Amino acid sequence: MNEAFIYGLVIILYLALLILIGLIMGRRTKNIEDFYIGGRQIGPWVTALSFVAAYFSSVVIIGGGGFGYMFGMSTLWIGAINVLLGCTICWIVLGPRVRRFTQRLNTMTIPGFFGKRYRSSFVVVFPALIIIIFMIFYNVSILKGMGHIFEVLMNIPYTYAILIAGIIILFYVTIGGYLAVVWTSFVQAWVMGLGLILLTIFSIKAIGGVSQANQALQSIDPGLINTPGVWGWPGLLSYALIVSFGVWGMPQLVVRFYSIKNLKVLRIGTVIATIGTCMALLPYFNGAIARALYPGLKNPDLAIPTLAKNVMSPLGSSIVLAAVVAAGMSTFASVLIILSSSMVHDTLIMGFKLNIPKKRVLLYSKISSLVIGLVSLIIAFKPPALVLTLTAFAWAVIASTTLWPLLFGLYWKRATRIGCIASMIGGCLTALLWMAIGKPFGIHGFIPGIAVGALLMIVLSLLTPRLPDAHIEKIWGRS
Amino acid sequence: MGPLDFPWFTFVAWIVAVGCIAVSVIWAIFLYKPKDDEHE
Repeated sequence: MNEAFIYGLVIILYLALLILIGLIMGRRTKNIEDFYIGGRQIGPWVTALSFVAAYFSSVVIIGGGGFGYMFGMSTLWIGAINVLLGCTICWIVLGPRVRRFTQRLNTMTIPGFFGKRYRSSFVVVFPALIIIIFMIFYNVSILKGMGHIFEVLMNIPYTYAILIAGIIILFYVTIGGYLAVVWTSFVQAWVMGLGLILLTIFSIKAIGGVSQANQALQSIDPGLINTPGVWGWPGLLSYALIVSFGVWGMPQLVVRFYSIKNLKVLRIGTVIATIGTCMALLPYFNGAIARALYPGLKNPDLAIPTLAKNVMSPLGSSIVLAAVVAAGMSTFASVLIILSSSMVHDTLIMGFKLNIPKKRVLLYSKISSLVIGLVSLIIAFKPPALVLTLTAFAWAVIASTTLWPLLFGLYWKRATRIGCIASMIGGCLTALLWMAIGKPFGIHGFIPGIAVGALLMIVLSLLTPRLPDAHIEKIWGRS
Repeated sequence: MGPLDFPWFTFVAWIVAVGCIAVSVIWAIFLYKPKDDEHE
């Protein structure tokens, strides 16, 4: 069997499975709570592994390999901080309270929680609009990443590749909503794990062992095995923080805590998610090995595809291809549901108080996810330079807007509406400006964004009247 | 040099990841006690 046939067969089987899941879950999606958060009935395995799949997009796998290639083994720390801060501590700190508070307040989205926690329409509409604008750009970059992978590994033209992937995602998200997203993501997490583990085994075998990889890298540049090595602390740490602490403000990930079945299930989910997130170290590790094996690559983003093509059989590298595609599709689908809820539930219903009949909300949500997905797809055919620039801002801007209002909203009774509004606007603008002026000192815009956001939240909350005791008691419960 | 010719500090990244699994297990079994599970 030739290479292209094996690639094609694996990918077709995999895509057919996703469509099947979409059809099955479509029959179980009866109302808007099912469509947005799966009726709060999702078990530990599906919640945890769909969190992992949504966390790591194809950009992370391919880009992570690129970072490993450029900066060597020190980038393992990015993966380690992903596990520590982006998963374990995030699940422990946010999980139980998000689950409990959002059920008490009967909210299905993050902006929706802000609206009820801080009693303001502005804190619903502002983050919802930020999410809509920047998540669309983020989705474009995910599609673009997937398209290039198809192009490199399967010789499928970019346009056809994103068209196939995009239409299949739109199909299962529109039909099956959140249930389809988490169940397909669950499958995709296994594919990602399998692909990355196989790639790691074959890479180590190809170079002759981990010690040999380290020695080869040291002979190229000792900075490639030391920490912080050739990247330096500011770049390494600020990047690790945005892709780890940033998770705490990313709606497509935090929504997993809304939908989990109960708090006991959340405990098991924390362990499973932590184990799954450990795969975060592998793209960086493999990228570094690729540097030792193929030191002359002109484009570091080709590190993982080049490695897969050269050290594995066609079947093995097709599984890696499926893993990369899985990573992209799961993130794109998760973001699509969030975009739909931000548009219909947060902006139109909660923000502008439109009186949409309950039966119609589900239909409008499906239509909005379809339309937003198509817009992302159309932009991805030929993304303007501005879109690509703004993509780099997406995580920093969204996390700087939502992180503190969420964290303080869960843990500090004194946090007020004005503190929240100031934190959102200040954090968002600071992150945007910092990135726009070219990231001074090599520091990612997320760091000044959250610094300013925290300061404004604390100072202005202390300077403004506290929210009524009865309201706080309703959220926290009687102590 | 640490194990497998990693410099020690770089090697600690692997230990942190594995350590997180241990922390999550300890938290789940011994530390976290859900009080008012409203969806049971």
